[in-house]
Amino acid sequence: MKKTHIPKLDDFLGGGIPSGSSVLFYADPGVECEAFGYQTLQGRLEDGDYGFIFTNVTEPSSIIYEFEKFGWDLAKSVDEGKAFFVDGSSYFIGAPVTGKYGIEDYSEIEEVVLKAIADVPDGLGVINNLSTLMDYMNDEETVRIINKWNQFAKEQDTILLYIFTEWDYDEELIQKIKDSMDCLINLNTIEERVIIGQGFMVTGASWITPSDNMVLFNILRPGGVKIFIPKILVTGPFNAGKSSFVKNITTDSVSVDRMAMGQVPTTIAMDIGHMEYKGFTADVFGTPGQERFDLILDVLSKEAVGAFILVDSTAPKTFPRAKEMMKKCKAEAIPRVIVANKQDLPDSLSPEEIRKVMNIDPSIPIIPVSLTRNEGIEEALDALLEILYR
Amino acid sequence: MIVRIASGITGFDSLTAAGDDLGLGLGGIPENTVTLIYGPQEVGKSSFCYGFAYYGLTQDEPCLYLTTDMGIKEISENFKDMELVLDEYLENNMLYVVDAASSDGESNGYDWYQSASVRNPTDILVKVTSGARSISQKTPRLRGVIDSLTTVLESNNEMLIVRVLKTYILRLKEAGGTAVITYTEGSADPRTEILIKSMVDNIIKLDGEKIIIEAMKGMGRKEAPYQITGSGIVINGSR
Amino acid sequence: MSESGIPGLDEFLSSSGYIEGFPDNTTTLIYGPPKVGKSIFCYQFAYHGLSIKEPCLYVTADDGMKQLQQNMIDFGWFLQSSIGEELLYVIDSISSLSGVPIENTNTYTLSKINDPTDLMVKVGLGTRFVFKKSNEFRAVFDSLTTPFAFNPEPMVIRFLKTYLRRLKEAGATVIVTYTEGVADESTEKTLKSIVDNVIMLDGNYMTFKSSLGFIGTAEYKITDQGLVLGKGEVL
Repeated sequence: MKKTHIPKLDDFLGGGIPSGSSVLFYADPGVECEAFGYQTLQGRLEDGDYGFIFTNVTEPSSIIYEFEKFGWDLAKSVDEGKAFFVDGSSYFIGAPVTGKYGIEDYSEIEEVVLKAIADVPDGLGVINNLSTLMDYMNDEETVRIINKWNQFAKEQDTILLYIFTEWDYDEELIQKIKDSMDCLINLNTIEERVIIGQGFMVTGASWITPSDNMVLFNILRPGGVKIFIPKILVTGPFNAGKSSFVKNITTDSVSVDRMAMGQVPTTIAMDIGHMEYKGFTADVFGTPGQERFDLILDVLSKEAVGAFILVDSTAPKTFPRAKEMMKKCKAEAIPRVIVANKQDLPDSLSPEEIRKVMNIDPSIPIIPVSLTRNEGIEEALDALLEILYR
Repeated sequence: MIVRIASGITGFDSLTAAGDDLGLGLGGIPENTVTLIYGPQEVGKSSFCYGFAYYGLTQDEPCLYLTTDMGIKEISENFKDMELVLDEYLENNMLYVVDAASSDGESNGYDWYQSASVRNPTDILVKVTSGARSISQKTPRLRGVIDSLTTVLESNNEMLIVRVLKTYILRLKEAGGTAVITYTEGSADPRTEILIKSMVDNIIKLDGEKIIIEAMKGMGRKEAPYQITGSGIVINGSR
Repeated sequence: MSESGIPGLDEFLSSSGYIEGFPDNTTTLIYGPPKVGKSIFCYQFAYHGLSIKEPCLYVTADDGMKQLQQNMIDFGWFLQSSIGEELLYVIDSISSLSGVPIENTNTYTLSKINDPTDLMVKVGLGTRFVFKKSNEFRAVFDSLTTPFAFNPEPMVIRFLKTYLRRLKEAGATVIVTYTEGVADESTEKTLKSIVDNVIMLDGNYMTFKSSLGFIGTAEYKITDQGLVLGKGEVL
């Protein structure tokens, strides 16, 4: 099984992609799809495999630059002979052809890609972009050639990864293309008058029944494909450490003064930040702790998909307050983790003790943390992400 | 206000001067634009290029000259016939020649001379680009000439040449250049001709008797009679 | 109803009683031979919108950003303050050919003329940005000529269909320019059929055809203030 190194995708695929498989990333127009091909290639190269990129949309030097922006050194892999390009773009725009193989006429494509596949047995080839190919070869040719490539790749144990923008082509043609692939991954837009998000979902795999989760993602530079969590709440009683927690897990938190939405017109301080952790990005919202702001808690927590509830492990008197806030944030309905802060202090209760006193269901993790000592925070993040994307 | 540079063609600048220029003689070719000179064969398109390039040289404006029909030897001869002396400009890195007409690399010892083949437009583009870049590093203005586009179109896939031309235009303008490109009417596919006309800024037709300015930045259509004389093109009776 | 910014045009369109000025939230193809003022129409349309604080999403495919700004300055239309106020969002799909490294900004992004997938991504991002500023904005695509030179014709049409649909959904008033004769007849026919209105410029006359049945022709001139309409006739 070859890992794609795209967060969550390998899990959805049952561990990765079997050698020799053909994978179609088919994207709604507007979705940034090439990152999926590039990230998989980068991951495979780091794992020691060899690979190539067939490009007909931009010159190899631009692709190297794109990799740089993601934080990956493709130039080095090329220099070391581990990766190469099939340049199907430069000639047609009048630029000098670079790369190991170049295409100066579309009739050459079939043979050249077969050669490239033969050069990377047990490796990976990325075809970017199938849509552009289809206009230069007619429909039947396209299907025939794709089938030939996939068959040969299977014999060579080479994975072929196609990037395809699903413009409004003839449906039968698209179906024929999809039928020739071992694995189908849909990249779609989430639109409400404008594109407000993008998600990916495995819609077919010949080796397992794929999980039918759709996962929101962002493309970060640097970073690549990251799962996007739209809103994580950080709540809890006054002085439990919410502000410190938000500051700790986010890269750029701000304390914002917001006008309270509701009956009482007053300003409240909220901590808002953006988190990037492992394969995930999220927007994090820290709620105020004082009781007088409870009226707006449910508004603030609207559309949160996960929550951290901070409690001061040395102050059991605040535990009822913590439970009350959980209720007011409607956190009962979403994945949540209780962060038992101040574990460094001598009279702190242990997570088991806290669970008993607060009467917390065994399914909800309670993670011991000390913000002042910077301990336990990663465990808390891992715990929530684990439940969110089980 | 459109800034213009002197064309080097007798009578052209007064033909293109705006009516209210207060006699300051602000006519000429709009700076940093590309002008298509087209018409039948033998109407003086190359002469226009000589006048344009030479005038710039006399004003310390380097010229990047892509020639596809006549090699540098022949061009030098033509200039000599017009009593224009090229040698010092070739020696002083003022005239950069990309010669896609001569069959071998007879550089005549000039400092900046590149030979190329019309059948390899990508290579021509690389050489022209490198010329433009080295000129622009030293001077803010340059003149560009392509004489002629027809020869390049005839030897290659026309769409490829259209794309190469687009790239040339972008890079030349980026280098602060003003260019003149010649083309023989009807020598390419109508679709290609329209594409070329869209990509240039100004369109001038020479029909053997009249010069017709069909489109020019900041100007309406204008025409005037002209002759090809021993010292180049002369445009008469502009007003 | 949008204000086109072309003196005489809005009044001319209203004069028939059929439509009220330049139609809002519609898509319009502006076509004609080279050098008749199609790009000038775009500059004028965009600039007028900016002057009344209507944001604009400008895809430039023939000229790079620098050239676009220079062309507009020739008419006395300065973009600096609109750029500063983030009312103008430019997608530059051609400058990458010139080889000069240019940095993206909040409201300026590069794309590739022969990569419609990337262009559509940039359009999506730009649309979202502009939509947040106002759900009444202008969208300009100047022009289809260079895309036709760098891509197969069917691909340009596919791209355009998606582009028009997305922008219309977002509330924009869209204009797209095209040089007549660059694509083949059937592609041109398709082009005209996927927009709401068509404006034909021939150097002397402007003909406006709306999908609601309005047809009108008027004289026009290119002046140093842009396009100006003269006498017209509604058919």
